[in-house]
Amino acid sequence: MLKIEGLKKGYDGNEILKGISLDVNKGDVISIIGPSGSGKTTLLRNITTLEQADGGHIQFAGVDNDFQKLNSKDIQTIRRNVGFVFQNYNLFNNKTALQNITEGLIVARKVKKREAEKIALEALERVGLSDRRNHYPSQLSGGQQQRVGIARAVALNPQVIFFDEPTSALDPELVGEVLKVMRNLADEGTTMVVVTHQMNFARNVSNKVIFMADGYIVEQGSPEDIFEHPSEKRTQEFLTDILANV
Amino acid sequence: MSLNTDFMVKVAQTAIQGVPVTLQIVLVALLISLPVGCLFALIRIYRVKGLEQIVKLYVSFVRGTPIIAQILIVYSAFPSLLNMIIGKAAFSINPIYYAYIVFTLNSIATLTEVFRSALQTVDKGQMEAGLMVGMQPRQTFWRIILPQALISALPNITNATLYLIKNSSLAFIMSVKDITAIAKTEAAFNYNFLEAYLVVWIYYLIICYSAEVIFYLLERYFSKFRRSTKKTNLFNWRPLSIKQPEVRAEADLTESERTNHAQNRGLKKRL
Ligand SMILES: Nc1ncnc2c1ncn2[C@@H]1O[C@H](COP(=O)(O)OP(=O)(O)OP(=O)(O)O)[C@@H](O)[C@H]1O
Ligand SMILES: [Mg+2]
Repeated sequence: MLKIEGLKKGYDGNEILKGISLDVNKGDVISIIGPSGSGKTTLLRNITTLEQADGGHIQFAGVDNDFQKLNSKDIQTIRRNVGFVFQNYNLFNNKTALQNITEGLIVARKVKKREAEKIALEALERVGLSDRRNHYPSQLSGGQQQRVGIARAVALNPQVIFFDEPTSALDPELVGEVLKVMRNLADEGTTMVVVTHQMNFARNVSNKVIFMADGYIVEQGSPEDIFEHPSEKRTQEFLTDILANV
Repeated sequence: MSLNTDFMVKVAQTAIQGVPVTLQIVLVALLISLPVGCLFALIRIYRVKGLEQIVKLYVSFVRGTPIIAQILIVYSAFPSLLNMIIGKAAFSINPIYYAYIVFTLNSIATLTEVFRSALQTVDKGQMEAGLMVGMQPRQTFWRIILPQALISALPNITNATLYLIKNSSLAFIMSVKDITAIAKTEAAFNYNFLEAYLVVWIYYLIICYSAEVIFYLLERYFSKFRRSTKKTNLFNWRPLSIKQPEVRAEADLTESERTNHAQNRGLKKRL
């Protein structure tokens, strides 16, 4: 469904992504793990065209093109078919929880206001926040904001939703509520690519785990492969480190 | 020393004819400089080639010279400039137009800087979130970025307006018959300068105060989406104080306070 080949990206001569290839199939829940600075965020931002990659090829939603050759129509197509959940939520501050969700539906998808509100309310219900629909982001806790962020992405019914460390800005006691929502989405068959430091999620919810380091995909496989018998030394070291710190 | 109160009443009555003139200058300058200042700010932020340098130069010229010099230059340059274009008629133009020009040019520079810093306070994540729900950059700008920037600009727009009101009193130099000019004429006639100037002082005080109240109400109305930690009461509402540009560190509430807040609001809605 989504196929990335040889994605490269650098800043000021520093190569951050050194040729990443990635396949996402419908219903996949892929966890991307790896040390800080390995390029996980950069990868998601380049796939979703928030940044322009230096090289590589994308096949997605009818677009079949090199990243550098994407025209504005391709970019629009890609953006309309992905959802993005940000590390720091990025809810529209001047909009209520409900409006945060209807905004994209009404403005980008040209859905009628009535209909958009119905969809938004359903999405809020799915994340357990329909009673907070008229609250502004500043009146919501971090966990609630992130759940609205997820609802905003889900409501647009994209082919795949990207999550960039959705729980790492949250106080520990709020992480659970967000993970629960994500687990429900996964159970319902939502296609998700999740950058995370939550090893439990990677292990128990996803069907595929990718370990990244230094701009490469070092190793990928089923959660059992990666967590029980990783074949690369880098992976073993990373997992030993991170599991020792939990 | 005693004040001639009869004279003060008389000055007050004549000088009131200058109030609309002052207000006109302020309103015209504001209405033009708000959109233009916003546009100039965008030119600077998005580094529009060619135009960026011009705006930069313009702003530093205006900011780096006293307004009195700007008034004198416009007032002496424009009539002869217009004379070349439209002939003698230039000298019979109502001087208030020169006041419009000077104060508009001056406010544009101030507001360009106000909008520039306000637009930069909006997190770039807001634009990215807009793009990721499929909106165009332009749509995200109008619906998400600009409204937030305008609200954070409001305190500084208030300040700029108050300066504009006070600076407009210099229009008398261009023989515009505003509050100051009228009072000065009266005073010179009767040699009661202090009385006349006290009247001027009171008029400006009233106008500035009203402007502040209006902006305060606007701010309160539009910032409903901001988490407010303290309610305004008689003691912390100081409409007379000139507001300093605020750094808006959002006070961090504890989780339970936040929920309380939220519940209170919900309750009010239902009532
Ligand atoms: N806009 C940028 N300009 C310059 N360098 C950047 C930029 N964005 C990212 N980088 C660099 O790219 C590298 C990878 O960053 P990235 O944010 O993708 O890492 P990450 O794997 O998401 O790390 P973390 O787990 O800490 O979020 C870092 O060394 C970072 O300094
Ligand atoms: Mg990251």
